[in-house]
Amino acid sequence: MKFYTAKTDAAADRMVVVDDMILTKEMPTAAGSKMLDGYMSLFDAEVVTRLQQAGYAIGGKADVGEFAIDMLGETSYNGTPEADGTLVNASAEILKEGGVTAVVGMDVNGSVRRAAAVNGLVSVKPTYGTVSRYGTIPVACSGETVSVMAKSADECFEVLKAIAGHDDKDGTSLSEEQCAAATAQDAKVCRVAIVKSLTDGVDAQTAEKLAAAKAALSANGVEVCEIEETKLSAARIAWNILMSAELCNNVSRYDGVKYGYRSQNFTNIDELYTNSRTEAFGDLLKTAILFGSDTLSTENYMKVYDKALRMRRVIAEAFDAIFAQYDAVLAPVCAKTAYTTEDVKADRYLSFTENLYTAPASITGLPTVVAGGVQLIGKAFSEGALLAAAKLFEKEGE
Amino acid sequence: MRYETVIGLEVHVELATKSKIFCSCNAKYGAGPNEHVCPACCGMPGMLPVVNKRVVDYGMKAGMMLNCHINRTTTFDKKSYYYPDLPCAYQTTQWFAPVAVNGTVEIETSKGKKSVRIKQIHMEEDAGKLVHDIAEDTTHVDFNRTSVPLIEIVSQPDLSSAEEVEAYLERLKMLLRYAKVAECAMEHGTMRCDVNLSVRPEGSDKLGVRTEMKNMNSIEAIKHAIEYETARHIDAIENGTEVLVQETRRWDDIKGKSFAMRNKETAGDYRYFPDPNVMPVVIDDAWFDSIQASLPELPEEKFARYTEELGLSEYDATQLIKSIALCECFEAAYAVCGNAKDAANWMISEIMSILNKRQMTYDMLSINGTALGELIKLVMDGKVGRANGKKILAAMFEDTTIEPVAYAEANGYVMSNDTGLVEKVVKEVIAAEEKAVADYKGGKEKALMSIFGRCMKELKGNCDPQTLRTILTDTLNKM
Amino acid sequence: MERDTLRILEMLNQLSLTDTQKEDFLAFCASREQELEVLNAVDTSDVERMVHVMPILTVVREDVASQPFSREDLQRGAPETDEGYWCVPRVVE
Repeated sequence: MKFYTAKTDAAADRMVVVDDMILTKEMPTAAGSKMLDGYMSLFDAEVVTRLQQAGYAIGGKADVGEFAIDMLGETSYNGTPEADGTLVNASAEILKEGGVTAVVGMDVNGSVRRAAAVNGLVSVKPTYGTVSRYGTIPVACSGETVSVMAKSADECFEVLKAIAGHDDKDGTSLSEEQCAAATAQDAKVCRVAIVKSLTDGVDAQTAEKLAAAKAALSANGVEVCEIEETKLSAARIAWNILMSAELCNNVSRYDGVKYGYRSQNFTNIDELYTNSRTEAFGDLLKTAILFGSDTLSTENYMKVYDKALRMRRVIAEAFDAIFAQYDAVLAPVCAKTAYTTEDVKADRYLSFTENLYTAPASITGLPTVVAGGVQLIGKAFSEGALLAAAKLFEKEGE
Repeated sequence: MRYETVIGLEVHVELATKSKIFCSCNAKYGAGPNEHVCPACCGMPGMLPVVNKRVVDYGMKAGMMLNCHINRTTTFDKKSYYYPDLPCAYQTTQWFAPVAVNGTVEIETSKGKKSVRIKQIHMEEDAGKLVHDIAEDTTHVDFNRTSVPLIEIVSQPDLSSAEEVEAYLERLKMLLRYAKVAECAMEHGTMRCDVNLSVRPEGSDKLGVRTEMKNMNSIEAIKHAIEYETARHIDAIENGTEVLVQETRRWDDIKGKSFAMRNKETAGDYRYFPDPNVMPVVIDDAWFDSIQASLPELPEEKFARYTEELGLSEYDATQLIKSIALCECFEAAYAVCGNAKDAANWMISEIMSILNKRQMTYDMLSINGTALGELIKLVMDGKVGRANGKKILAAMFEDTTIEPVAYAEANGYVMSNDTGLVEKVVKEVIAAEEKAVADYKGGKEKALMSIFGRCMKELKGNCDPQTLRTILTDTLNKM
Repeated sequence: MERDTLRILEMLNQLSLTDTQKEDFLAFCASREQELEVLNAVDTSDVERMVHVMPILTVVREDVASQPFSREDLQRGAPETDEGYWCVPRVVE
């Protein structure tokens, strides 16, 4: 596993690493795919520019799973399993090694959040539109978000403030006022809901972490209630559809013609396309491409894709109803506290079921903060308040 | 049995914007290969589409010109397929909520007037260009045209002959050129047309098998293709020469035939879905009103005003309304010189004939109408001779910054009121043209013309012809 | 999903699966089809589709052209170029 491409001239004191979904002019960006091995972008992502303007040195690139849709990065073309069989995440390993304030990466299907959770780190996936996606490798544009992972909520907040803000180059970027709201900490998390359908099926250690977070919140005067809301568990099914369809469309540009991997074995244009893509893409990606394509077929569009778009509103409205009474939802991030190569061998599509916990915030664009191995999902622009609340239990995960 | 042809058209028109639809690359035609390209329009990841306002302006304006309903919330969708001219393997277009729907275009043919219904107008990005003649086994790809804004105008199947199709296309061209949203030149590929055609027994309300024809690059080719395809359909129906199938066919203008294109099993499965990166474009009242206020007077309206209010002949009015550029030049010139008839004469007998001689389209006229008006006024007021006036006009064609008054003075084109000078020149010419004078005196009236001509030449044209004639004949008669 | 549908999907997406991958994919799709029942249990006939999570409008750009990237840079990582063009095997018209 390739953790990062170290940059020798990086200043040591305020250093940030970006993941391999974020384009950098001076370092290659491969999105964890053989297709983009050695790909050099002609421009920096907006977050890279903003980090540098805020005085951070970009210390290197953290490896990701192919197009960041897997569990923890295990589908990277660089990937070699750890000796003890534990799945490790490059961003988390870099942070644990030290010397880096934060890793800024793309949360497409929850891998950043899972990495923070299983490694006892803190991450924030801000409200969709508060951080520019200009210069990020597009996969599931309707819900993916630039996210920050660090050792503490304070460091996450510090780096989030550096990268949040309106950007004319991103048509989905929110106004400067809305972005400012996302990095304010005026509001406080006072009432937290635990949604029963989202806690079912977690292992004992994860249940303990939830209990610890709940206890820490209660001890600090935060009211924590358990509620019933069954629709949120359908988020993952709808998100798998939307994510795969958008992914299918976004990665169709990688065809061996303009840049990137080209097969040596072709006699006509279709063979050039098919062999390049077949040789360069991994299994999980191929599955997602074909599944996504199928959801958009003339026959399935209304039954599947359109249905998922409507479910997205159902889920957003379910959150609205919760947030009418509560400031945040306390939920697991994944069902287990560690994953092994055996887990992903037994179920190669684990990230399409384990995203039960991450999909609700992905499909709605709501902010979520991972700390102490669990997450707090809040209403739009509440990430500042979520991070403040997360400080109450961020040490629980260690 | 008698048959009728049912034709619907899909017309692609490139919008005359400075930059592309979703990125800031130059949208103008004519650069070297891949010089008007950026990471976005050559399919690299990371740039996000940001809509060019002028594209929406023009899409709306085209819709209004074609009497369409404008969708106040209009959205963009992605259409997926693989072809080397499509760098992202998807085209961003409008599938669910196009900018304009339900319009009409009025046409006139030898069979009378007809209203052609417009189904919709949608905005989209163009594809790149493939070059096949540089190498034998390689296709060269140029993305300059990728993402240049287009509108696609989809008609209902309301057309029934090549003549109607021609009238419809000419009308579209005129309306879009009047609105200044597009060049509409088939020879440059800025207007392209796909023809959907079927044939059925006259009076039948059941549509026959429909074929789609592509690759016609002139109106003549389209007419030819329609005639060929109609005959092919009728032949198939009557004589069973072949079985008609719904398919896309490519017109070969050199062979004068259409050929079935290789149809893949996957053809037509475009997997449209809303583009998550482009938010809905909402056209508020202020935006809508500003576009409506910018709509031009229609050719018919100009014709009526020119003939009824300005007193132009129907012939003159018909000539002028051929192009919005002519109309604007004429109207500006008239505003300065105050004489519509004179202004129209200059437009038709001078300007249009120069454009014709230079094989320029009327839309390419770049003469400043106000300057033209000043020139006409100089001639009308007798300050510049007509022949010199034409010379000034010719100079104005070369250099559009020329101001006629200053230019006339600087080049000695101002009429002389000095009769002393005229008398002096007349005397000198008479002295020099002994033979002509003798001929004239001998009764040859024609000889007077050559003496007159020489006098005018000596005076550099800066003399009122009547004055010269009077002084010349008086002097000769006194001899 | 039928095998024939998968064959068309592979063509549409320029991918070629091995037999094992095909079996895997069909199984994957079967699970997803089952899950779809969970969505179908929710009546969404009166629910408006939600394409964008934030209800903001398009910010349009002024029509100004600029050309900051050079062809040489854009083609630096290209598998095959010639005389300023990207190249592909001849596409028969």
